[in-house]
Amino acid sequence: MTSAAEFTGVTQAYGDTVAVDNLNLQIEEGKLTTLLGPSGCGKTTTLRMLAGYITPSAGTITINGADATRLPPEKRNLGMVFQSYALFPHLTVADNVGFGLKLRKVPATKRRELVMANLDLVGLAHLADRKPKALSGGQQQRVALARAIAISPSLLLLDEPLSNLDARLRVQMRSEIRRIQGETGLTVVLVTHDQEEALEMSDTMVVMRAGKVMQTGAPATVFTTPANRFVADFLGYENFLTQSDGSLLTVRPEHLRVTAAGVEPATTGLTVSAVVRESVYRGVDHIVTMTAADASGTPITLVSTTRRDTLTADAGFQPGDLVTAQARDHEIVRLTSDN
Amino acid sequence: MKGRPILGTLAVLGYIIMIVPILFVVSTAFTAGDALTFPPQGVSLRWFGEALAYQPFVGALLSSLQLAVVSTALALLLGVPVTLAIQRGKIPGKSLVEGLFLSPLVVPELVVGLALYQQIMIGLHQTSFVALLVGHTVLLLPYAVRVTGASLALADPAVEEAARGLGASPLRTFFSVTLPLLRPGIFSAGLLSFVTSFNNVPLSLLLQSRQFRTLPVTMLDYVQQSYDPMIAAMSTLILAGTVVIAIVAEKTLGFAKIFGGINK
Repeated sequence: MTSAAEFTGVTQAYGDTVAVDNLNLQIEEGKLTTLLGPSGCGKTTTLRMLAGYITPSAGTITINGADATRLPPEKRNLGMVFQSYALFPHLTVADNVGFGLKLRKVPATKRRELVMANLDLVGLAHLADRKPKALSGGQQQRVALARAIAISPSLLLLDEPLSNLDARLRVQMRSEIRRIQGETGLTVVLVTHDQEEALEMSDTMVVMRAGKVMQTGAPATVFTTPANRFVADFLGYENFLTQSDGSLLTVRPEHLRVTAAGVEPATTGLTVSAVVRESVYRGVDHIVTMTAADASGTPITLVSTTRRDTLTADAGFQPGDLVTAQARDHEIVRLTSDN
Repeated sequence: MKGRPILGTLAVLGYIIMIVPILFVVSTAFTAGDALTFPPQGVSLRWFGEALAYQPFVGALLSSLQLAVVSTALALLLGVPVTLAIQRGKIPGKSLVEGLFLSPLVVPELVVGLALYQQIMIGLHQTSFVALLVGHTVLLLPYAVRVTGASLALADPAVEEAARGLGASPLRTFFSVTLPLLRPGIFSAGLLSFVTSFNNVPLSLLLQSRQFRTLPVTMLDYVQQSYDPMIAAMSTLILAGTVVIAIVAEKTLGFAKIFGGINK
């Protein structure tokens, strides 16, 4: 693989706080890489170091093979889209998009052409002469995207670009960004705390925690084989069961089936006796919360959201019911490490 | 104000207390008589004519305008970079620097005036215009720093970062992004500074000279000698000028936006 950018031993510390800790990461050319993790995991710091807004305390960053560790942002030729959009409020949409082109001394007619082409790409050519204030949040976001792409950047950096949009628009913009990435062939780095967004959009996802990379891989790989409890937890796994040999199993709540105690168990897989604590009706399914014990006898909480076969208003289980929770072999994920 | 009788009454009372004395001054300015009495005797513009023909007033008005314009320009030229350094720069002891530039707000103007009198006029043998210029600039600095600071604090730093990312050098970013963002703040700081300098009495009183005297000082002097409607006419002219400035400010930016910054 060819790297569009590479982090080698990069650390960023503010006083005693280490935001990014000895990071080694390769951003593959022409692909969409997401940095995923909870707030404070170092994902935004990583992106800002790549953009040149923060200088690493240690380590090197290369862009297209050249050392860029201490290069100021204006010399990196990267397109950045900010969470707050950060459009220039005193300039029209067209002048916003043309800002970088003007600095590159692109002649006026050619510039106008490129501006319109990029606005076309995001479907906003008809708003070229408006001021940003007159645009909706979603439209402002598209202008920010067009502005970043217009300079033909070597990488497109997106810092939580969808988090200020409403839910419906957010889902729409995900495929929109994917489409634009496909059409332009750009290398994209996206920062997000939304696992669904990362799974849906990434070629490669990088899950981070406390300044370190926990796991890197294709969405399907990371989702089906999380490296450790943190990644599993972040991707929505629940039901962590320590085995007698000390290893850890996990089952997604939608894979854990609950039946009344005494019903014939599945031939292979996991079978645990439990007591229902709560059962909440949610339309398509129930959330059944149970108390059980793992191999060492420590009390654990199990959660099941398996769909019922028929739609029924019946609450299913009552608190105190004795039940059996089951999962089949292929639904059980064995975690290799417990950090 | 419905359903809030006490608040309503207080508001009306407040307006009366503020406006009635002004109405007295304005109405007596239009008197046709010779005395500064209320109610005025007849209506005429005679005292306006007299005020504008009275050489000490006209000379002092020009001096005041000159001083206010130059000291406002100086305060902005010094204050805007200081604001940027305080808010965006990485300087040690930021709060100390900020405190230093806001300190003229708490140091008594008489003390500043006396110090400038001793050092600049006596010590360095400079004219009272130079001393007044230094004094007023120092007096206006806190307004320049605070008001532009308030508008800079509201500006999203990511906007400047975006400009850098698109290829603009720090200097280019300042002129094509930061300065336009600050324009309303600088405009209101300038307006406020101008009015503050124009109305100042303590510094202008201490640092006056035969050659250079501001309008408020000259008027104060005049009132002590003679008490006629000309002073009311001059006051009314100043009031009219202030109202024009207020209308311009309201039309271009809105009052709340301009003066909101100071109360924070």
